[in-house]
Amino acid sequence: MSGPHAKGMEYAWFNNVETKPGIGYPDDWENQEKWKGGWKLDKEKLAPRMGNKTGIMKNIFANPNMPLIDDYYEPFTFNYSILHKGSRFKTPPSARPYSILTGKPMEKIEKSANWEDNLGGTFEKRSREKNFDNVQKEIYGEFENSFMMYIPRLCEHCLNPTCVAACPSGAIYKREEDGIVLIDQSRCRGWRQCVSACPYKKIYFNWETQKSEKCTFCYPKIEVGEPTICSESCVGRIRYIGVILYDADKILESASNKNEQDIYGEQLGLFLNPNDQEIENEAKKQGIPFNVLEAAKNSPVYKMAIDWKVAFPLHPEYRTLPMVWYVPPLSPVVHAADSGKIGVNGMLPDVEDLRIPTKYLANMFTAGDEKPVKDALKRMLAMRAYMRSKTVDNELNVSVLEQTGLTPEETEKMYELMAIANYNDRFVIPTSHREYAKDAFGYKASCGFSDNGGCSDEKFKNLFGGM
Amino acid sequence: MENYINNFLFTYFPHIAFAVFWFGLITRFIVANKSIQAKSTQILANDGVRKGNNLFHYGIIIIFLGHFTLFLPEEMYHLVMSTETKRIIALILGTTFGIITFTGMFILLKRRITNERVSFTSNFHDYFILTLLMVEAGLGLASIAQTASTSVAEYASLGLWAQKVITFQPDAGAIIAGHSILYKIHFTIGLIIFMIFPYTKLMHILVLPIAYFFRSGYQLIRKRA
Repeated sequence: MSGPHAKGMEYAWFNNVETKPGIGYPDDWENQEKWKGGWKLDKEKLAPRMGNKTGIMKNIFANPNMPLIDDYYEPFTFNYSILHKGSRFKTPPSARPYSILTGKPMEKIEKSANWEDNLGGTFEKRSREKNFDNVQKEIYGEFENSFMMYIPRLCEHCLNPTCVAACPSGAIYKREEDGIVLIDQSRCRGWRQCVSACPYKKIYFNWETQKSEKCTFCYPKIEVGEPTICSESCVGRIRYIGVILYDADKILESASNKNEQDIYGEQLGLFLNPNDQEIENEAKKQGIPFNVLEAAKNSPVYKMAIDWKVAFPLHPEYRTLPMVWYVPPLSPVVHAADSGKIGVNGMLPDVEDLRIPTKYLANMFTAGDEKPVKDALKRMLAMRAYMRSKTVDNELNVSVLEQTGLTPEETEKMYELMAIANYNDRFVIPTSHREYAKDAFGYKASCGFSDNGGCSDEKFKNLFGGM
Repeated sequence: MENYINNFLFTYFPHIAFAVFWFGLITRFIVANKSIQAKSTQILANDGVRKGNNLFHYGIIIIFLGHFTLFLPEEMYHLVMSTETKRIIALILGTTFGIITFTGMFILLKRRITNERVSFTSNFHDYFILTLLMVEAGLGLASIAQTASTSVAEYASLGLWAQKVITFQPDAGAIIAGHSILYKIHFTIGLIIFMIFPYTKLMHILVLPIAYFFRSGYQLIRKRA
């Protein structure tokens, strides 16, 4: 289960897929009253929910909001060796689980990063999650009304990251050229404030090196214009990567909006239209390379988030302005049989009839504001109906688009990007211009990462066997 | 012989210890900078870690700062208070925060030994440093009792010794030759702690991120180097 280089990080999944409804990983991560992640407005001023600078420093010796490893799960392995030693078994051979933390056998594995997979566990336990706020959740526990969706979770590479803000050592930073948030391992001093600060709980404390680690957005691949591994290997082809230009000077103001439901709109307001001549001129003046601007014009993310408004930030109310956006899922229509609503001639079903309650989705993506989510679902239903009329009925039904404000051309483009999802449409990534910054030749074939042994097998030890 | 040992430990050894200290400090910062870090097992188990750590750290910071008053020459603090007053303040603060520190360390050591996750991931270094600091704090508390029961002059001479050491006076050791063995062990272990400091996890003290307070705003952006 774990190689020597993963020691300390066995429990850490930089990119896990959760089944919703569920409390997720670590336990109940969305409950910020408990974990104190993200930001709060403190007398109209934005401050990390866990406390301002003094508050954070005062707790530096013992972090009161730090999740324990048990809130994730106790990392385990199996004593596989017993199986190939040729021992004789009276019962069918099996390997027992062992705790990596204590080296002792575990009676039962009770948790892991994906324990609620496909609605595993009881509804009673799974439904103790934040997105059910203001939803009459009892009926969704009934088999006939149950629903599920997956949510892939990774570092959001926020515009207003709390982890960066809470790191007293200044080891976490956002890269100017591509917005990737990274932890400088040589500057991390292990104060572990970032773990609590991140509301998505996507910074993990390595208990072996005792420094924090996180998703790197595969920056070495991004720099050469390739997609991240998670996006490229996604069999559903549902992950997209593109450039977004934004106005960095307005970030603080946008994140400080008093009304939580307005923050989604505020964030949309930060994004700049790359096809606007004025913006393009200004970008050129600021030295943004040509290929980045070109990529911004063809950005699949821009189209989905801004043009069609079918993608949403995850929990904008955390005020981190996350940059991994999600398209809410369409789901089967409840009572389809007796409602008679889905006529052959394409009257659109009411989004209220979709199996996944829109309030639930809105709690996840728009701080509870149902309208944007409903509009997005309508657009996707309309796209589906329109394309069906075109390809199955051979008779264009433009009327289904009426309510949505989409034109037939836009709808075709939407279909092309979201349903056909060609590789080159999904990933529009400009190569970075490192050649201007440094002569990269000297770095070839050198050690990429040098932690916990790195290229050599020998770990640096001090006089007393520590470090 | 006794005289020789006294002279070695309290006139020369402080300089040896500090030479090693500075050498280690500089080389550690240059050669193994990224190994300078706080070590935390908080994620593994929460039993007493907050109470122990806060008591220990806040206690030892006050105690550590308190020791610096040893370097104040009499003429200077006499402007504000008499030696007798200084001794009373030192006794009160020393006892209070000494006990706080000691209690914190006791909680932490107990946790390290009894919590199976923490003990499984601990190494000799962890136990050694914690025990050494505990012994030193214990001796410190014992020498407070000693100070309380002796003359003001004997208390004043402790400071005099410290001042003579940092000003390279050859008669530094002689000043405390007649003092209780408690002080002497406390001093010697203290100097040993300084000597090995740069080679241990104690180095995290020097990366305490005070600069955080001076960061403008919260966010950090790095330009391409």
